[in-house]
This record gives sequence, C-alpha cells and structure tokens, in this order.
Amino acid sequence: MLLKPHSALIIAGHGSTVNPDSSAPTFDHAAEIARRGVFGEVYCAFWKEEPSLRQVLHMVDADEIYVVPNFISEGYFTRTVIPRELELTGPVTRRDGRTIKYCEPVGNHPRMTELLMHRATEIAPGIPPSETSLFIVGHGTDLNDNSAVAAKREVDRIAALGLYGEVLNAYMEEEPLISKWDEAARYPNVVVVPFFIADGLHSYEDIPVLLGIAEESPGAASTTAKHVFARNPYHLRGRSLYYASAIGTEPMFADVILEQVAAFDAVEPASVFA
Amino acid sequence: MTSITEALERWLRAGGREIGEIHIQSADSGWQLRHRRDDQRTDLATYTGAEAARMLAQYTDSGEFRPLKTAPNLRRGWLLTIPDLGELRRALDYFYPAMLGVRVSHMHGNLVPVALRATLARQTGMYRVTQKITDAQAQQMVGDFCRSDGGCLKHILWPLAPGHVISTLPAEKFSLEAAPAAWPLFCHEACNLLVAKAREVVKRANLTS
Repeated sequence: MLLKPHSALIIAGHGSTVNPDSSAPTFDHAAEIARRGVFGEVYCAFWKEEPSLRQVLHMVDADEIYVVPNFISEGYFTRTVIPRELELTGPVTRRDGRTIKYCEPVGNHPRMTELLMHRATEIAPGIPPSETSLFIVGHGTDLNDNSAVAAKREVDRIAALGLYGEVLNAYMEEEPLISKWDEAARYPNVVVVPFFIADGLHSYEDIPVLLGIAEESPGAASTTAKHVFARNPYHLRGRSLYYASAIGTEPMFADVILEQVAAFDAVEPASVFA
Repeated sequence: MTSITEALERWLRAGGREIGEIHIQSADSGWQLRHRRDDQRTDLATYTGAEAARMLAQYTDSGEFRPLKTAPNLRRGWLLTIPDLGELRRALDYFYPAMLGVRVSHMHGNLVPVALRATLARQTGMYRVTQKITDAQAQQMVGDFCRSDGGCLKHILWPLAPGHVISTLPAEKFSLEAAPAAWPLFCHEACNLLVAKAREVVKRANLTS
C-alpha cells in the first residue's frame, strides 16, 4: 500500500470562475485521500480557482511533492500551463531543497476503461449490455487537447471486451456528433457516459441539450440537485436513454490518483532521490 | 524552518484572532470561527470540522459563487467549531486558500512578488492577448478590480512593472503591516481572475477602436 507520510500530494485541476461544479470532484478526491492518511499533506490547485497553481507550493511543508493533474488527457494544460505555472523543468524538478514529481494525468490511467464500464453498469441497472449502445463522449475540437483521442482509445478497449452491443465515440463539436446519437445507435438501450472530469458546463449543461433530454441548459449541477440524472431513463426517439454523471465524479478516481503516484515511482524509484 | 502549523500556533498564542473577515476564538473544544461582524449574534447556524469550511466559503449570502475567496463577501450567520490545530489550518485553507502559507513564505524571505507585466508576458493561448494592455488600462483595471471595498482583501505586493507602482489604490493596499491580531493576506502575483479581466479590457478596447 502506498504510504508517504513525509510527502505532499497536489491534485491540479482546471476549476471555474462561474460555478463550483468544475472543481468539486478534485476537492472531493483530495478530501478522500487526506482521510486515508496516505500523504502527510494533500492540496488542490487550480488554473481558474484558488488556491492557484502559483500559490499552492507555498501551502506545502514537505520537501517531496507529487503533482497529479486531474485532467482527462494530455494536452495544453498538462503540457504547457501546469509545468509553466509551477515552474517545472521536467518529470522531476529540484528547487530550493524540494523535489517536485510531475505525474501522468488521471485520464491516462489504464483503469479508466474499468471505471467507464462501472459507471455505465451503475446508471442502467439490469439493462443487458448486449442490447445496448454505449457512447463515450469527449469534448473534441481543441487542437491542443487529446481528449478526443483518449475517448476513442477507451471506446476501442471497451469494444474489444465484446460485452456491449456496440461501443461508440462521440463529441460535442466534431463528428461523430453526440447530437446524432439516434442515427448512430443500433440498439434499443443507449447509455451515454461523458469522459469529462466534472459535471461542469459541458457535461451537465451542454450535452443534455445536444442529446435532446433538455430543451435548454438545466442550470449548474450544484444548483439543480443534479436532477438530469434522476430522470433516467429518457424515452426518446424510440429508445431508452441513460445519461451518466461525468466519469471524473467517480469516487474511485481517488484510487486512480494514488495509482498515478505509484506509477511515477515505478519509473522514477523514490530511493534514487532519497 | 517553522512549519505553517507552527506559525499558526505561534500567532494564535500571541493573540492572533482575525483573518480576512473571520474571527477566531479559542474554546474548550478547540476553536470557534465566525464572520467577524457576527460577534454579537446568538442565532448562528452551527457546524463542526474543516470540511464545512469548504461549503461556507463557496457562496455569498445571496447564493453567488465565490471564485475569489478573498473577496469581501463571505457569507454570514454561521459558527464553525474546529477541534484541533491541524483542522484549523485545513479550514483556513478553504476560507482563504494559500494565505497561511504565503505569509509564512514571506516571513522566511521566500516570497518573490511577480510584476503584472511578467505575469502577462508568460500567458499563452487565449490569454496571450493580455500583453497588449496599456499601462493606463492596467492601472485603471487594478484600481477597480482589486480595491478592498468590494474587490479583494489581499494586500498587493507586486508592481505593474519593475519600478512602476500601482497608483490607483491607496497606500495601505500595498502595506506589509497588519493589525497585531490580524493575519495579513498577501497577493504576490496577479490572480487568474485579474488576467481574465485584462483580456476583457483588451478585447473591449479593440472593439471600440
């Protein structure tokens, strides 16, 4: 079991200036990891909220600091923004008597496949996967973001298991469009899992409109008691449609964050830097 | 070197009682925190433990999200009991993120203020355009956005550029001094909200020019 009482963990997220939904899962996972006592210190840091990436290192007492990006894929934020704001020089940065270890983003972890399937099963209990079209929805469009590639990778992995009638990738703003789900799906049951970090603007307010299960934005998840999910299944366009909460709200993400730390140590053994 | 928890403990022992809008009072069971303007109220809703601080810091009294936790709009009407020093540090990190650590870094001589121009110069993507803000626009923006009455309670440690001070806010906004019982809130670098505001200023100026 991972135990690092003399080290600190920083979970780096995007955050939002509009509502607390974007940062909520990051805070939740941090609180869970702190509760387990794995690290001596656990903090969050955000691009758009506080503590900021520029402030967070001042919060830390420990000399060894692991940073895990709570992002769905490698991209602009994990490769440019976080390293720049934390002044990282590589996977391991040594500065002012401290060692900062920059781990892979959570979305890169092989367990994402298991978590997506867990969520799909959870949202549609008793529905036979063999009669179900499963959609994994990513953002798409942003050239600096590999979220579309990551979503497609997960689709291929789940499809290879042969459990679902079909597994499809879809995006908000590029083909294949999630708004055309009924044209793509061949089965009577449709399960849609957003490959997003939080029930933020995209997954809670935009995608329900694109699916046709809301006529307009339902409002922020935090102010509507997440009622979009309580209304499953939606009987729409001749199918039963189940819409899931973003994969990043899955409590098992706390385990994935810790496993990204362990994966870092497996490549960069801690003893080397002792 | 003094840890942040030790610095907090030392400050409390020396009579430290206020941080931002929060009043801290020692109690039999640890510490009690409340809005400092609620010290005479007896109808406060009671909460226990650091995690409650996250929720209390989230919204204003009118239900608006508070992305800037040092904005002077902390909700009122609550009393938070914290059992020990470690929990107190966690609670204060929710109420005023990084403000304990930033001050301790300053005490150790490890806080390096970053000029606004340097912050804007390293922006990429959608914020790269902020580098076009004029000095006059930046002065006006900071004077409006960062003012203590309605903007932000932090004391600004950074200049517009080396040798080029912010002239649109009163001198006390840049003071390192705080009342003996108060934990100072330091801003060593412009926040992302101010950078986003700079983008708005530049975009708006482009539209009207």
